[in-house]
Amino acid sequence: MIRVIDLTKTYNGIKAVDAVTFTLERGEVFGLLGPNGAGKTTMIKMLTALAKPDGGSCTVAGFDVRRNGPELKKIMGVMPQENNLDRELTAHENLLIYGMLHRVDSLRVRICETLDMVGLSERKDSVVSHFSGGMQRRLLLARALMTRPAVLFLDEPSIGLDPQIRRQMWDIIRKAKLDGRTVIMTTHYIEEAEALCDRVAILSKGKLIALDSPDNLKARIGEYVVEHVDEEGRLMQQICPSREEAQIGASLCENNVTIRKSNLEDVFIKLTGERLE
Amino acid sequence: MSKALEWYPIYLREMLLFRRKLFKLGYLFSAMVIPIIYLVAFGLGLGRSVQTGRGAYLDYLIPGLVAMSSMSNSYAWVASALNLNRLYFKTFQLFVQAPIRPSSIMVGEVLAGMTKGLFASFLTIVAGFVISTHFTVTPLFVATLLLNCFLFACLGIITGMLSKSHEDTATYSNFFILPMSFFSGTFFPVDKAPLLIKSIIYIMPLTHTNILIRKTSLDQEGLLSLVVLLVYAVVFFLYGSQLIKKYNE
Repeated sequence: MIRVIDLTKTYNGIKAVDAVTFTLERGEVFGLLGPNGAGKTTMIKMLTALAKPDGGSCTVAGFDVRRNGPELKKIMGVMPQENNLDRELTAHENLLIYGMLHRVDSLRVRICETLDMVGLSERKDSVVSHFSGGMQRRLLLARALMTRPAVLFLDEPSIGLDPQIRRQMWDIIRKAKLDGRTVIMTTHYIEEAEALCDRVAILSKGKLIALDSPDNLKARIGEYVVEHVDEEGRLMQQICPSREEAQIGASLCENNVTIRKSNLEDVFIKLTGERLE
Repeated sequence: MSKALEWYPIYLREMLLFRRKLFKLGYLFSAMVIPIIYLVAFGLGLGRSVQTGRGAYLDYLIPGLVAMSSMSNSYAWVASALNLNRLYFKTFQLFVQAPIRPSSIMVGEVLAGMTKGLFASFLTIVAGFVISTHFTVTPLFVATLLLNCFLFACLGIITGMLSKSHEDTATYSNFFILPMSFFSGTFFPVDKAPLLIKSIIYIMPLTHTNILIRKTSLDQEGLLSLVVLLVYAVVFFLYGSQLIKKYNE
């Protein structure tokens, strides 16, 4: 569905995305994981015709993103990281304009269905600037799904949301997968990537440093982590391949010892030496 | 919706936003205040001592103020809104990611700018009818007004696309729009200006709008001005469309 080969983008001599290669199958939920400045948003911008790559190639459903044609734009839905709703228009007006731009059939009905999906029907005639942050994120996601796109690009979909609203968003994304849509999303929330993504690409300083399913990535570094606080208050971690080895490691520590399963943040730290922020 | 109407959602969006602003007192006041100040200060004040050789000064001034008002409003609204929508609100990106042609984005934005320019011009025209008994609106006047709004809305797109910050938009305005307001025959005839200055003045599109908008019929001078305005309009439209087509973050 998506084929990215050696994709590169440079800003002021700095490579924001550096020769990244991956492919996505239809119906897959694919996560781009990394800290701020890793190149996740730049990658999404190139895939969605906002930024032109400086090198490499990329096709979405067989359409070359460099050609920037309407065929590509017809099959994609985009939820940007920054809120680009018209704040002075109502929820209904925002969806009306978007639906007209994308020539959605039976637009009035589709707008009602879309607002229902995210629980905003009651507020359809409210001006968006009166919405809470969570409501605005939900409306952004609804707008991206309104055209029933084959490929859904989500840039930090649940950033700044409380856990309850975040889980509502996850349900909608899971439903998009069940409907056969291909989803490519950026996130720096570990649990979001683990809960939703079939595969995860870890980016650091524009480079792709690992790509696999969350389980395989964790298995690659070791499935258990022993944590304890040392005398100077620092959190010390030891990654172990099995529970038995973790217990042996824990027995060597004096106090405040915990054993837990490894997560994608451990993978990231192990591979890059950095923390996700 | 047919392909020929791809521009309509963009125009509709601007009009929905405009409708909300329209009912705010501040907007109406700001659209009217500059022409009214000029009418009072120049027309009823300083203008009493100005000889244009073409009848009463007020009758000379009012069409110029309509031209100036249409220019500044068509230009400023488009340049400012596009710049903000592109750099801060990121709503312009929705158009770039929609399956429509760049020229449709251009047409939608330009028509919206024209509408805002025509609205401000209408207020000036009303003020003109109130103040002067000789002020008339001819078909050539209306055609010139439409062309002027189109041309400067296109220029607004160019500025909005080229500006790297909102402050840049004001800088472009100070360098191009403000001098044009004063030195293009809005307030006084420019045909007696020194040759060097005159040649600069005749490069400015508003000079030709001011020539054309004061004519009752199309003579040779008017025809030349019409051609100049049409050339500007086509060049600005094509360049603006090209900037949208090559949009790259």
